[in-house]
Amino acid sequence: MKNVIEVKNLIKEYKEIKAVDNLSFEVHEGEILGLLGPNGSGKTTTINCLLSLLNYSSGSIKIFGKEMKPDSYDIKSKIGVVFQEVAVFDELTVYENIDYFCGLYINNKETRKKYIEDAINLVGLENFKNFYPKKLSGGLLRRLNIACGIAHKPKLIFLDEPTVAVDPQSRNNILDGIKKLRDNGATIVYTTHYMEEVEILCDRVIILDKGKILATGSTDELKELTKIEEKISIEINDLDINCIDKIKELKNVDDVRYNSNILLVTYKKGKNNLVEIMEYLKKNNIKYNKIYSERPTLNDVFLELTGKELRD
Amino acid sequence: MTVFKTFLKILNKNKFIIILYTLFLIFFGGFNMQTSESNINFVASKPDIMIVNYDEEKGITKDLIKYIEENSNVVDLKNNEDAINDALFYRDVNYVIYIPKNYNKDFMDGKNPEIEIKSTGDYQSSFAEMLLSRYIKVANIYQKSINSEEELISKINETLSKKSEVEITSKLDTNILSKATFYYNFANYSIMACLIYVICLILASFKDIKIQKRTIISSTNYKTLNRQLLLSNSLFSIILWMIYVVLSFVLVGNIMFSIHGIFYLINSFVFTICATTIALFIGNIVSNKNAISGIVNVIALGSSFLCGAFVPMEWLPEAVIKIAHILPSYYYISNNEILKTLEIINFNTIKPILLNIIIILSFSIIFIILTNIVSKRKQKIG
Amino acid sequence: MFIHNFKYSLKTLFRNKELIFWTFAFPIILATFFNMAFSDIENSEKLDIINIAIIQNDDFNNNEVFKSAFEEMSDKNNKDRLFETKYTTKEEAQKLLEEEKIVGYMELVDNKPKLTFITSGINETIFKYVSEEIMQTSNIINNLTEEEIQNQIMTGNFNVDYESIYNKVIEITTEENVKLKNISSDNLSYTMIEFYTLIAMVCLYGGILGTASINQNLANMSNQGKRVSVAPTTKGKVILSSVLASYITQLIGVALLFIYTILVLNVDYGNNLGLIIILAMVGSLAGLSLGTMVATTIKSNENVKTGIILSITMLGCFLSGMMGITMKYIIDKNIPIINKLNPANMITDGLYSLYYYETLDRYIFNVISLLIFAFILITVSYISLRRQKYDSI
Repeated sequence: MKNVIEVKNLIKEYKEIKAVDNLSFEVHEGEILGLLGPNGSGKTTTINCLLSLLNYSSGSIKIFGKEMKPDSYDIKSKIGVVFQEVAVFDELTVYENIDYFCGLYINNKETRKKYIEDAINLVGLENFKNFYPKKLSGGLLRRLNIACGIAHKPKLIFLDEPTVAVDPQSRNNILDGIKKLRDNGATIVYTTHYMEEVEILCDRVIILDKGKILATGSTDELKELTKIEEKISIEINDLDINCIDKIKELKNVDDVRYNSNILLVTYKKGKNNLVEIMEYLKKNNIKYNKIYSERPTLNDVFLELTGKELRD
Repeated sequence: MTVFKTFLKILNKNKFIIILYTLFLIFFGGFNMQTSESNINFVASKPDIMIVNYDEEKGITKDLIKYIEENSNVVDLKNNEDAINDALFYRDVNYVIYIPKNYNKDFMDGKNPEIEIKSTGDYQSSFAEMLLSRYIKVANIYQKSINSEEELISKINETLSKKSEVEITSKLDTNILSKATFYYNFANYSIMACLIYVICLILASFKDIKIQKRTIISSTNYKTLNRQLLLSNSLFSIILWMIYVVLSFVLVGNIMFSIHGIFYLINSFVFTICATTIALFIGNIVSNKNAISGIVNVIALGSSFLCGAFVPMEWLPEAVIKIAHILPSYYYISNNEILKTLEIINFNTIKPILLNIIIILSFSIIFIILTNIVSKRKQKIG
Repeated sequence: MFIHNFKYSLKTLFRNKELIFWTFAFPIILATFFNMAFSDIENSEKLDIINIAIIQNDDFNNNEVFKSAFEEMSDKNNKDRLFETKYTTKEEAQKLLEEEKIVGYMELVDNKPKLTFITSGINETIFKYVSEEIMQTSNIINNLTEEEIQNQIMTGNFNVDYESIYNKVIEITTEENVKLKNISSDNLSYTMIEFYTLIAMVCLYGGILGTASINQNLANMSNQGKRVSVAPTTKGKVILSSVLASYITQLIGVALLFIYTILVLNVDYGNNLGLIIILAMVGSLAGLSLGTMVATTIKSNENVKTGIILSITMLGCFLSGMMGITMKYIIDKNIPIINKLNPANMITDGLYSLYYYETLDRYIFNVISLLIFAFILITVSYISLRRQKYDSI
């Protein structure tokens, strides 16, 4: 498998804070790599370093096998970036914005025209070509932001939290678009703090916190990191504290927590765990409302690794 | 209280603008007041004359110079044509007299030599020319019958010493009063610019659609909110007015402690009220923060130019003065102008001042009514 | 690429309402205000007819010299007319004076004029001067007549013809024989300066356009700039084409103001249109360099940068005479270094020297100063632009 990006021992320091702390990773050709981490974990800084926008303290960055420098125009021409902030001109229409940014890469007018149409179709802005950005809703604006970054059909795409504050319809549209890009052969680096997106989208995930890599692997591989097998949450009003200790002694139970009227029981292994706990509740005449049984999520992985929730 | 706190925060953010306009007032007011004697008010009756003498300083030449010196302010500039031209252009000198070589001799020989002059062509220069030609005329007349230089000079001086007796009835120091008028006229610009800018910015911040949604649904009644806003804005206006008043005491001095001074204060206070209502009105119709500084400059500069805050009113074309009647600044500035020459203070003489004040207050009421109409219409977010 | 970026830079600048207001509309509005306020100043500087009163007592009625002199100077058909004269009693004159219907009144006491005014001023001074001149003329007439008579008596002619002597003397005194030659320049209209400062203002306001166009391309200034930075284009090319676009926009703004002031307001810029265009272009370049420097060296949002350029410009224009030309003269005379460094004054002064001077020395000095100013600022901008990566964004 070819590596599109190779990062070795990347360090970026701001005065006293290490924003990126000795990062090493690769991105394989044709994959969607998720950079997952809470706000301020160093995702955007890492991307900005990769793009040669920021000075970094030490380390090496290779893209398409060559060292990345500010004037590496041959590399740059194969990269597309969608920044976290909406980076479009208020004075230009949807079409003009895409044309302008695309024109920085593609000189041929005919090709450009076709590419712009493709980009507009990809993000679903066909009906808004002549709108000014101020007239677009938040979701549509995000889609425009993506279109501006990928219209030139780059081989490597960086997407920095493209779905922040986006309505569900737009989000689905965006995620579909990203899949399409991958299917067309692009390699994608995708940062987000929405683990659900990572789970649907990414082939491989890097979990970042405080500038360090906590774990790398496919979603399933990461989930194996947690010892949790199953998570059962039950709504119970006013549970007797003594019961909690009793539940802890049930078969396979790893941990029990009770707060805000929710009983959370986690299991390391075993099957039919749900049946057992329901029987226990019945026996002790404890009334309950809803019961959920969940498989572990990346949030649990993150919780396991850092002791804190991903979204805080 | 929250309203007031936010108000102070916004104010603090924009202190730069307020300081800038105030500095304009001090600089412009201060500088121009010092030069007002020669340039703004024609108070001095002596023109500024420069003499460039290529002749030896004796005989008629000497006497002519002496005569000019006695009757004008002789300005000493570098004898450099550029410097002289600049000085003429900027009215630093009104008239330049070039006395040619051998003037004394040629004059005594009855050649009536030609004198070159440069003139600004204004009031002062006409007066300077009158002085010069008077001397030459008298000298020419006597020269025809008198041959002795000494006798000639004494005859010229005898004639020229005939002076009219002048009595000035006014006890007013118009010079200082015109300084005060100048200051308060310019304050028209500073007050308007500062008030409109700051108040519009504050209203725009509060009217920011997201915040407005929040305030409309909040437990605070919008009327209470408006009242608090009005109160904060008024407080700001009053403080700004007081700053400018204190400044005027520093710059203009004692005259501010007289009855004239009190009228300047009342007049500017009434105008401050009016400017506040204008600012509130504009703040209510404009919600785009970016547009504010443009609007401020157009309104403040416009009414200052048209109503004679920068250029004395008597110099403005009549058509402009007519247009100016629709602006409150006109009445404010008119009052300052009346005060400048107001001799006797009694009911009859201050009646026009009071009338103007009533007009300014009426403008304020009109703007308050307009503001209410506009803000009622905007109560629902469209 | 260059043209592509240039085209879009022009589009974004022209569609930015705020920028267009400041660089296009505001100067024209201001020019209109100037014109309204100053159009009459030059005329009001000249002498108006002065309202006076003369007290009709016996002294006045019997004094032929005074009587005929004032009659002539108040004659409506006389083009050099100075006075509108009312002949009244003392009480009436006092009342007129109190009501400020007249500037003063004259009473002849023993053939000596006594003048009463409210205050001192130019009109009062002229009245006083004229009355003195009449008195002096009658003094000359007396002296000369006396002398002539004495001469005739001394030569033994006792049969003196008073009338012919008197007429001869009058003839001498009325003979206009003062030879003055006015060598001042024709162009003395100083309201022109106001319009020159306005041109200077527009040139420097162009800096806002420069700032806007550069910020679009800098990764540490705008999000769009990040996009440009990751694109495979040389930064120099992109910035150069954007700056060129803003310069052209700026020149259009200046041209509009020139056209408006020349065609609508009849402002006179002198005859040398070519040199004026050069000055405007160099001045705009100075404004542009100010904009690029502010854009590249000050890290703040665009509003702050715009504010800085507007303030620098307003201060510069103020010092070069926008709000009263005395300011320019005071600075030029007392602290010349300030205006030598003030780009607004370089432009104002350049236009002024073209209009008012016959030689080009001062104009050339100003153009060179502007070029140096622009060069230094552009160099500073260039140095700070050479950084391709940032420590923080």
